[in-house]
Amino acid sequence: MSDVTQATATTGTALTVTEKILARAASLGEVRPGQNHPFRPDYMVAYDFPGYTDLMFKQMHDDFGITEVDDPERYLVFIDHMLSNRNEREEEVHDVTRRWGEFYGITVHEGRGIGHQVAAELGYALPGKFLIHFDGHISGLGAFGALGWGVRRDLLEAWVSGRIFLDVPASMRFHLTGSFAPGVDNRDLIHEIISRVGADGCAHQVMEFTGPGAENMSIGRRQGLCGMAMFTGAVSAIFNPDETALEYARRVARTEFEPLTSDPGAAYTATHEIDLDALRPRVVLPGSARSANTLGVDEAAGTPITRAFIGSCASGRIEDIRAAAEVLRGRRVAPGVQLNVVPTSQLIHRQAEEEGLLDVLREAGANVAISSCDFCFGYARPLQPGEKCISTGVLNISGRMGSTDADIYMGSAYTVAASAVSGRITDPREVVK
Amino acid sequence: MKPATSALPDVLRGRVAWIFGDDFDVDLIIGVENIKYYDADKLRAVCMKAFDPEFVEKVEPGDVVVGGRNFGYGHPHYPPLVALRNLGISAVLAESFSPGFWRGETYNGMPLVTVPGIATAVRRFDPVEVDWRRAVVRLPDGTELTGNPPSERVIKVLESGGSLNLLLREHGRHRTPAES
Repeated sequence: MSDVTQATATTGTALTVTEKILARAASLGEVRPGQNHPFRPDYMVAYDFPGYTDLMFKQMHDDFGITEVDDPERYLVFIDHMLSNRNEREEEVHDVTRRWGEFYGITVHEGRGIGHQVAAELGYALPGKFLIHFDGHISGLGAFGALGWGVRRDLLEAWVSGRIFLDVPASMRFHLTGSFAPGVDNRDLIHEIISRVGADGCAHQVMEFTGPGAENMSIGRRQGLCGMAMFTGAVSAIFNPDETALEYARRVARTEFEPLTSDPGAAYTATHEIDLDALRPRVVLPGSARSANTLGVDEAAGTPITRAFIGSCASGRIEDIRAAAEVLRGRRVAPGVQLNVVPTSQLIHRQAEEEGLLDVLREAGANVAISSCDFCFGYARPLQPGEKCISTGVLNISGRMGSTDADIYMGSAYTVAASAVSGRITDPREVVK
Repeated sequence: MKPATSALPDVLRGRVAWIFGDDFDVDLIIGVENIKYYDADKLRAVCMKAFDPEFVEKVEPGDVVVGGRNFGYGHPHYPPLVALRNLGISAVLAESFSPGFWRGETYNGMPLVTVPGIATAVRRFDPVEVDWRRAVVRLPDGTELTGNPPSERVIKVLESGGSLNLLLREHGRHRTPAES
């Protein structure tokens, strides 16, 4: 199913799409892997969360004495966490963010869904753009040919100076052929990649997806795939913008943009050939997404579950909701199992409603919640001790979705939905033909 | 812009206080149930208990910890390294670091030295000397392991005792005339 070609040398001045985006962000003709340089992001993104945005705004104001920012349009804040309890504490957290946003003239988006999705819908994540966030799942914007890089607390450096020092990453290529078989999707692909290259297989590099299999993939699937890049050790992931990405970008663009693509002969640390037709559903055991925890669904099948979750920045897109509806149509969630489905954004929620998908899910006994990050990090309906959950969330470390004495398995929306129906981890290909 | 004095000595001298394996999730240093605590007494009470119940008594200021490949893998929180710093751990030496962990702790001013071969070259309580700018580790028998040196920017961050200090000096607008 896979062949690996080792490192290729650069031909002349050939560059990867990542190198071109960073060269532009550095106002240099070219940059090379390993080069350390201050880069100017097009957007410096955050979500409001106690200890992060409130602290950063306060530092910027009190410690740095910055009362005015040079380009407020480059700062972007989303309210997408802590929306489920509707209590005073939540209001207080969000109010602090709103007030700072007003003070600096920075746009705060709320009520639209998960920021890593909404950034695309609102036309920030355009081909060739460079975006940073303290959260690494911004890598999902690579679906559009943008470079999204999670820089943790170094976001403050960009907020106070407009620039950020980074090492130019090398790129590893994943050349995809074929298309996903029924009941198999991008989630299975990322875990298959981790199980092959290891949890540090792409450490400090960018994953670049190419080939007919990449071109066949829908935007939502590309986002889900790129959004999980950090679990290979990668700093980001990217697709070369093709007509699918450009069509989306032209529709939503809020600024001009100039797409960039890798040159023939650009250098990669390795090229992995993957045939999507041969992929099978994958399930990740509780603890982490490392290779040793990644199994074929058949090896984990039969494990009883009490909870199931479809959502997060790496799932919950229209393709995932359709997958869940395909499995749940005419079926019921098993007694004793709670299935929560969270569309990634309000736009996706509306589309799923219009397509009749949410009615299918509700009739099957699923709970459909408004778009937020809250289920994925254990804020909404936290897991209780002893529970076993199967999830499309991004992380399955102990305590992530509630009790540290609960187990989190991960899989695709197909696998989660099929498991919710039978009450045990189930191969979705038993229902999706 | 260069700080008058470096927050770190040129050479760190200490013993290897512990050796962790590959893909090590730092949250385990204090236990996943404690990853939201910053209180020093609480962190001391839970630090390394799962590895050596007497770790906090045995460790000495200046000691280092050693890791395998991909040290810091997972979803690293800050308190585990706060706990180690409180005990005087002065650096982490590892075969390689997970990028997210590396960035977060470099920001906090912890020297993370990438030294392939280190995990199998040392035993617990071996004394080592670490020239962190050159990524050179001197072993008890006098041999040296050379790793991947940090960028000039990261050297500046570490000399400043973390990114915040460096950024304040570079971009703070409260500067008095004498400092600017």
